[in-house]
Amino acid sequence: MATSIPKVEDAREVLKKHKIVIAGVGETEQGKIPNKSSFQFLSEASKLAIEDAGIKKSDVDGLVTAFSLVEHTFMHCTTFADYFGLRPKYFSSIAIGGATAVWMAAEAAMAIASGQAEVVLCVRGDNTLSGISSSGMVALIREMCHAEFEFPYGLTTPGGYALAAQRYLHEYGLKREHLAAVAVTMRKHAGMKENAMNKEPLTVEDVLKSRVIAEPLSKYDCSIISDGGAAFIVTTEEKAKTLGIQKPLAYLWGMGQGYSHQYLTTLKDLNQIYNAVESSGQRAFQTAGISTKDVDIAFLYDCFTITVLLEFEGLGFVPKGEGGPFALEGRMEIGKDLPVNTHGGLLSQAHLGAMHHVVEATLQLRGEAGPRQVKNAEVALVHGNGGIVSAHSTILLGKQPLS
Amino acid sequence: MSEKATTQSSGYQKPLPEFRPETKPFWDGCKRHELVLPRARTTNEFFFYPRAVSPGEDMTQDIEWVKASGKAKVWTFSIHHMGPTPAYKNEPAYVVALVETQEGVKMMTNIVGCDPKDVHIGMDVEVVFDDVTPEVTLPKFQPAGK
Repeated sequence: MATSIPKVEDAREVLKKHKIVIAGVGETEQGKIPNKSSFQFLSEASKLAIEDAGIKKSDVDGLVTAFSLVEHTFMHCTTFADYFGLRPKYFSSIAIGGATAVWMAAEAAMAIASGQAEVVLCVRGDNTLSGISSSGMVALIREMCHAEFEFPYGLTTPGGYALAAQRYLHEYGLKREHLAAVAVTMRKHAGMKENAMNKEPLTVEDVLKSRVIAEPLSKYDCSIISDGGAAFIVTTEEKAKTLGIQKPLAYLWGMGQGYSHQYLTTLKDLNQIYNAVESSGQRAFQTAGISTKDVDIAFLYDCFTITVLLEFEGLGFVPKGEGGPFALEGRMEIGKDLPVNTHGGLLSQAHLGAMHHVVEATLQLRGEAGPRQVKNAEVALVHGNGGIVSAHSTILLGKQPLS
Repeated sequence: MSEKATTQSSGYQKPLPEFRPETKPFWDGCKRHELVLPRARTTNEFFFYPRAVSPGEDMTQDIEWVKASGKAKVWTFSIHHMGPTPAYKNEPAYVVALVETQEGVKMMTNIVGCDPKDVHIGMDVEVVFDDVTPEVTLPKFQPAGK
């Protein structure tokens, strides 16, 4: 038998054949919740996703978790399996920062496609807001940059993104307003989401006048920190039928990753970031056999306003430098050209990596997003970014099976 | 495996680098007020931050330390109004910058010796050494020809 080197087209065949789906989602209360532990949030979110799918806990035979910023354990997935009382056939912890949640769906799909598991629970939860000590926060900021060659200069985490933002504004002749517009859109969307932390309306002026953290970024250019959990269940269409799952399914259409740098010191230019985003998106698009024009709704990692613009442009929705004006014209709002982060994102809803981005994408495709529902949402893109715009992951989800 | 610089003797409370065997020549150079950069002998390519193995295609460990020009341009910067540790509380705003040296590598640094408001992208800067503790000297940059 002739052998060949696998290509993304093969992934397309695999996704078409097995019809990998997200079949259940769950999100706990988000906010400042000081009386709950990290593993409690993971357990509550898992229970909600299992109940949402309408399956039994014992139907779950795969587990993908992330990491905790509070409970330091070097085997996170199995530590949680023990706490929750699961005995999975497949288990893995992914630790690629903000790129994690998106890649959970991809890894679950690969586990299923290779016969390792049939029903994979993907879950993340943490009491980041209430559980991190001030020394823990310093340790986290230190880990986000190069401890030896960057941290001694007082580089902060917002500062790292500010360095990217300053260069972005310089290269494309843009202003802080262009960044601020992203925060304004996220806030508007969060106002329509019950389970969101910050809902009071925000204007561009409010963002510009908020406390300066690291120029050109102010308080409202920065995401919130929160306590909470979220989960989703990945399986196949066939298995979902067997289990009697009634919820509409969200079909996985494609996935990809892209890597730029870990430390800003080794960044050559902004193109290096754009190329990593593009690489991530391109493989997802090629697998799905679609282009940006086919995307009805996008979920972009918004730990800081600048990341949304770099991702939006890198993915190819608009040419480089045009994301800022696009945002300022309100074109990322629900009902406009391309709604982005209809749940309010990390900037206004809650911060749990891209977990809520995946959950909201699923709700939108199901038609269950209530007042935030985007009409005729058929295809959703979700993009995660870990490190300081360094590690990228993208998935595409469809309301219908990939054809 | 790492030789942690201590703060006890100086009272300096801000973060300090922890030297590693492969980075020590860099910090030794700084202590002599010399900016030295690692270069792969096989390709003559500079790289930064220092590693034991060249990050290039060659993967060589044949690395030499070369005295750098000390000249650079600001590639990007951010005036920090909040620092990463309690030691920065009540400190004035400071400039964190990524500079591109004449040798073609980028370094994270502080721009000192001028009003933060005067720092701009493309600005010519030159190295200046800050002996923050008896053990540690941090290379920083100031406007060229100051």
